[in-house]
Amino acid sequence: MSWRKWNFVLHRDLGYLCIGLTLLYGISGLAVNHTSHAFNPSYTIETQKGQVSPLPSGKVPDMSYVNQCLAELSITAQFKNVAMLNPETIRIFVEGNTIDVIVATGETIKEKIERRPLLFGINYLHLNKGKGTWTWVADIYALAICLLALTGLFMIRSKGRRRALFLTTIGFLCPLLYLLLKPS
Amino acid sequence: MMKKNSLFLLVLFFLSVTTCFATMQLGAPLTLQEVTKVSEINKHPDQYLGKQVLIEGLIINVCAARGCWMDIASDVPFEKIKIKVVDGEIVFPLEAKGQTARVEGIVEAVHLTEDQARSMARHHAEKSGEKVDLSTIKGPTTYYRIRGLGAEIN
Repeated sequence: MSWRKWNFVLHRDLGYLCIGLTLLYGISGLAVNHTSHAFNPSYTIETQKGQVSPLPSGKVPDMSYVNQCLAELSITAQFKNVAMLNPETIRIFVEGNTIDVIVATGETIKEKIERRPLLFGINYLHLNKGKGTWTWVADIYALAICLLALTGLFMIRSKGRRRALFLTTIGFLCPLLYLLLKPS
Repeated sequence: MMKKNSLFLLVLFFLSVTTCFATMQLGAPLTLQEVTKVSEINKHPDQYLGKQVLIEGLIINVCAARGCWMDIASDVPFEKIKIKVVDGEIVFPLEAKGQTARVEGIVEAVHLTEDQARSMARHHAEKSGEKVDLSTIKGPTTYYRIRGLGAEIN
């Protein structure tokens, strides 16, 4: 078999192998590219204002007040913990929710956190949060796509060579031009 | 049969990465045995500057964008300390809020100009909804935090 044939076989089979991970990294890449304080790619965060009975003046917040707040807000999720952030505010932690209560006024801010279906899992892999074994998988994948690109380069035939070289050059120029032209 | 097995493995795979662990180990394994009180570090930060410490406490806040920092409540009311990690090296999960953590890291000082301190306070106020009196920030300020190396979240 000629080297061209081997190159084709390698390119084709690597391509098949990489389809799953390329889609995973691509979709996750789109999501994590737009990470900001307003958008978390792995979680949905909703905040909601509410009202509970204020703590009578002179009283110190205790568990009965915490339970009262949860009952008034109709929160039945499992209680995790409570902290006094400052003399005015307590933060109640329940499964999936964090509730800040301004004890003097009874104003509340509830923050509900939920994992985004599918995106949480693929971002976990893309950002390599698990480390360990996945680092190896990701390294092998990175080498595989480099090989995929190189074998693709050797697939350029005389017919359509100009088009291939033109598009390949654009692919190289995009990052280079950005680096050269970006404001320092 | 083959299709069923593949589907089962796929479901198992996604479940495995989305399941909460009882104790979550993040970053480097903890090496220190002796726990330093957060209040001690806050009280005498210069004594701990550049030193590796192990602290423990309740997680009261986690960076909502990247999980690159978290606040640990002190043993003294209303006090806390910030744990900052290199983006991506450790990612604190948002669900960790309300859980307890043991964190090992190096105490460091962050020096801010007046403008930086005001901008940071404004940003914090916007995020938390808390009222901040910017006029109280006068001149450059320094705050202390821990550069996190490893953590265990229970």
